Amino acid sequence: MSSREIRIYRDLMGANEKWAAENRALLQTHGLTMLNLIGSPGAGKTALLESMVESLNKSLRFAVLEGDIETTRDAERLDKLDVAVSQLLSGGSCHLEAKLVNHALVDFPLEDLDLVFVENVGNMVCPAEFDIGEHAKIAVLSVTEGEDKPLKYPLLFREARAVVLTKTDLLPYLDFDLDACLANIAQVDASLPVFQVSAKSGMGVEGFVDWVLQVREGK
Amino acid sequence: MHEFSICRNILAAVLEEYKALEPPAERLSRVRVVVGAMHQIVPDYLAHAYDILARDTVVAGSALDLQVQPVTGRCQSCKWEGEIQPPFFQCPSCDALTIEVLKGRELYLDCLEVDCDE
Repeated sequence: MSSREIRIYRDLMGANEKWAAENRALLQTHGLTMLNLIGSPGAGKTALLESMVESLNKSLRFAVLEGDIETTRDAERLDKLDVAVSQLLSGGSCHLEAKLVNHALVDFPLEDLDLVFVENVGNMVCPAEFDIGEHAKIAVLSVTEGEDKPLKYPLLFREARAVVLTKTDLLPYLDFDLDACLANIAQVDASLPVFQVSAKSGMGVEGFVDWVLQVREGK
Repeated sequence: MHEFSICRNILAAVLEEYKALEPPAERLSRVRVVVGAMHQIVPDYLAHAYDILARDTVVAGSALDLQVQPVTGRCQSCKWEGEIQPPFFQCPSCDALTIEVLKGRELYLDCLEVDCDE
């Protein structure tokens, strides 16, 4: 009996990459933009979407893919605002993979849409690892989570093309150090735009909507 | 806890490569996977997933050898190149926050070690 070593060099995200490429092709065919919102449970991802509905409706047609482990509650919230929404239940999985997103995408009337938001499963770790074929990942961080999160979850903030800092209406009641938070984000990626918003008061939402429209136009 | 998802990909790739070996091998003894340090993979969780998912396959009993590739980068301002320690993507030479990541994002099946009759 002898032993030998065989070199392979094979990418291990290949299966997901294949579906991500499929999604990209599908989006391109229909001239669609897809944005992937990633943040912890309770960061305010659904509230952010709710706060954007009115101004987004003025400029484009959009739909939301809601990723959750269980329940259709988030989808119901958006449905109340007449947003086209599809609920993906990951059934325990902590992130969305490209294949699941593909199955939901093909069920949308893609020719009637300009933009798809994916609200990923609440989690700052795993969703950052998986390419779903989106044009941009967006990190959603709330001021109640603490200013150190960009340093604790660097992959998300390296992968993201923008940060939305939510719940800023609560700043007067918290010890949250805004300057330290912005410095921490810059440590991980100094080129990231940061949008400070309050979904509750609407403050700052327009700025983020403008950025979304710029991404949509390929800027 | 995305280690199970990633491990499923490892197993699928190993099984395919192992079955395609010419001449066929007698036994799979070691699987080496290279993972960049940017990936937030917990080695113990991955090893646990590997033990469970390999059951009843030819991969069962083989060792998973996980090699971590440190993160390296290049400063776009002063052109410094070297190892960096996430989450601090700051140039140790000129302090600029303009580090481009060169290595540390890998995730690939590097090699298989097999026993053969000879």
